[in-house]
Amino acid sequence: MTIEIEGIEIEGIEIARAAEATAAEAESILRLEDVRIAHRHTGEELVRGVSFDLRPGRVVGIVGESGSGKTLTCRAILGILPRLFHISGGRVELFGRDIAGLSARDWEQLRGVSITAVFQDPGSYLNPSLRVGPQIAEALRVRGGLRRREAKRRTIELLDDVRLRDPELIYRSYPHELSGGMLQRVLIASAISLEPRILIADEVTTALDVTVQAEILDLLTDLTQQHDLALIVVSHDLAVIAQTCDDVLVLRQGEVVEQGEAKSILFAPQHEYTRLLIDEHNTYGLDRFREPAGVHHG
Amino acid sequence: MAESSTAIRINGLQVSYGTGRHRTRIIHEASFDVGVGESVGIIGETGSGKSTIARAVVGLVPAQAGTVRIGDEEVSAFGARQWRDFRRRGAVQYVFQDPLRALDADLTIGDSLAEPLRLQRRLSKEQIRDRIDFRLEQVRLPQDLLVRFPGELSGGQRQRVLLARALATEPRVLILDEPVSALDAANRVSVLEILNDLRAAGTSLVFISHDLGSVAGVTDRIVVLYRGEVVEVGRTADIVNDPQHPYTRLLVGSAPSLHTGAIDREERARLRRVLDAG
Amino acid sequence: MIRRILALPAGRFATAFLVFIAFLAVAGPVLAPYDPLLGTSDILAGPSAAHWLGTDYLGRDVLSRILAGAPISVFGAVQVAVIALFAGAVPGILSVYLGRVFEWLTLRFVDTLIALPFLVFAVAVTALLGNGIPQAMLTVGILVSPLFYRVSRAATLSVARSQYVEAAILSGARTGWVVRTHVWSKVLPPIAIATANTLGIGFVIVSSLTFLGIGIQPPAPSWGGVLASDLGYLTQRPYAPIFTTVLIMLSVWAFNLLADVIRDVAGESGRTLLTERGAARDAARRRRTDTAASEDALVGRSSS
Repeated sequence: MTIEIEGIEIEGIEIARAAEATAAEAESILRLEDVRIAHRHTGEELVRGVSFDLRPGRVVGIVGESGSGKTLTCRAILGILPRLFHISGGRVELFGRDIAGLSARDWEQLRGVSITAVFQDPGSYLNPSLRVGPQIAEALRVRGGLRRREAKRRTIELLDDVRLRDPELIYRSYPHELSGGMLQRVLIASAISLEPRILIADEVTTALDVTVQAEILDLLTDLTQQHDLALIVVSHDLAVIAQTCDDVLVLRQGEVVEQGEAKSILFAPQHEYTRLLIDEHNTYGLDRFREPAGVHHG
Repeated sequence: MAESSTAIRINGLQVSYGTGRHRTRIIHEASFDVGVGESVGIIGETGSGKSTIARAVVGLVPAQAGTVRIGDEEVSAFGARQWRDFRRRGAVQYVFQDPLRALDADLTIGDSLAEPLRLQRRLSKEQIRDRIDFRLEQVRLPQDLLVRFPGELSGGQRQRVLLARALATEPRVLILDEPVSALDAANRVSVLEILNDLRAAGTSLVFISHDLGSVAGVTDRIVVLYRGEVVEVGRTADIVNDPQHPYTRLLVGSAPSLHTGAIDREERARLRRVLDAG
Repeated sequence: MIRRILALPAGRFATAFLVFIAFLAVAGPVLAPYDPLLGTSDILAGPSAAHWLGTDYLGRDVLSRILAGAPISVFGAVQVAVIALFAGAVPGILSVYLGRVFEWLTLRFVDTLIALPFLVFAVAVTALLGNGIPQAMLTVGILVSPLFYRVSRAATLSVARSQYVEAAILSGARTGWVVRTHVWSKVLPPIAIATANTLGIGFVIVSSLTFLGIGIQPPAPSWGGVLASDLGYLTQRPYAPIFTTVLIMLSVWAFNLLADVIRDVAGESGRTLLTERGAARDAARRRRTDTAASEDALVGRSSS
């Protein structure tokens, strides 16, 4: 299949690359302008006016609880809104193109190759009756056009990139044999396998132990730097966002109550909800005990 | 039950599953105290055995060795009937982690709340009703929830119902398994405030969590569990600012903080190597 | 309660028809206008004022034979269900609470029953206890009991291992309390459904056996027997089998329909509406706040 970009016929994966190239000349690869998401039948707006800009190498964080609209926003960006919902206002530009104009075919080309996502429950995104490695390798063969042996080699390489200790063993393992943290790394490996420009991480560490969470967050930060990725991190934990993100949006019941650079939001929160989140950490979290000047190691 | 200086005393506790060659040790030589009116957090990763210790304390899991004392009674030596009598007194209560599964979906909230009181066979219907009303107020839930079913409530409301149910028998010791992990910010703060009130009123609290950050603010002391062993015990402030054991350092250092960065990756990797070796 | 079942049109029909059948079983023989065994010279007559359904090849009033034969079919089916219930459901529930030995024994016994070839068992029972419908129903009942055992055991196990039961135990509840308060309401629906289905099966089996002339000494009347003799004289009375066939068919259908209605009315995962509070819970579920529903939708759990 082919599409035309600026009068030139392009095929398959090249469509995506071409789009990226076009957009790379522009500054942002993802731009949301006053995006509103509403229920198709009742008209009830569940997301009311989200705007932000995503550039390569930057990390944008969305802080929100269940019901805040964060997941709907992510799904809208990926073009996978549930059928009952639609983008009722504003615009989403992906690599410079309005996603309203994208066909199903276009999306197929973009997803996985240019924009990918990792979600909260890693086990449910893998086929439990197949080994983990081949599931990743398949994507490389089908979308990336690699031969079987090459795909396997590249997969093991990726599993190593996400710092799994024994990539060969992991390749041969079934999902149920791996812990939550390992599974999440596997999915991250899968997500970056086709070298996307944008990665959305939606509550990826929520179900994990705090020590494992630190590793995963670190991994994501490193990948951002190494691959010049643009990363969107979604979490209900303000501290997670504070630690990994450059820019932050605080979402509450569908509205952006605060937005800006992470540092300024933390030191000078404007909205009471943000202050509630910060106070909670200061009152009940570790920050209550820590001296702000630095962390002491024994 | 005569007054005692410790609410819970655990000594040399061993818990294993399985028999013979397939015996796996879950808890090994665990010993620590919870003082009367004290709030202690048992922190450990998944698989560290933290839930098992709590279950052993309340008798849901048998111990192979060691003793557990609650107040003056050596509960680790209890038989079934003694446990039943002890439990009916309601001095020790356990709040489960998952409010959805810990409430019978076919019972109204009122019935679920009344169950522990009815089992005591001491109180009249009116007295039970009064107690329930009082507890609902204490956890900041409205009366009209009594006729509803768990499926109609939000997660935060359900968690508070669990809390109200545990408080109905006026326990001296409350054990909570990940009490706030499934809640949103507003609910978390609400529940933590309620727990702080209980602390002030002299109830002994035991928290079980994998995340130090979620309960640090309501605890006096922390017991750190790693692979079934107690690796460090100390006052919360000391644990946070001056952790000794490599795992504690890893734990404290991994928790994301608003103000300071977590320890860096190399330090974490180094601590992990130390842990794996030792 | 039963009200919920009657609220559905399918439930009303099934219940009404089954009540009718039960009535026939009890009152049928008394209501029969003629002696079902009495032959007359008026053989193979068509429907008339005197004989509403005509007469059979021996001049016996067909309507009387059907009315008199009702008890055999109905009670036969009931017998199967009752035996299966007691031999299956009761041990099933108890197996969770009476300790390892009992559990092991019942499990192995049930496994054996499942493995037994039906015919061998039937022949053995016949040899021991004689030939007859009750004996045949006993056989069927015992062979169906594993289903009840499995179903009630599974339902009980899932409840017994739940957290809310643990919570009850932590408050000092004994087994009796747990069963009364938590287990019973969840075990009832699967058992009710299995019973309704078994009644249908029992009905079919009785009809089949009597059709083949097994277990019934002629000239005793039975629905299957009437059908068999009807088929033997089709040329003379081609319409004859219709009534009996429809009767048998509707009965079986009514049982199965009832089973379906119970299943629907009980909701997913076997939660019951057969108790008052279960009904209120379901009404409450329908009243669920919008927050809960839209929360689900936001996290993408809606159909999509």
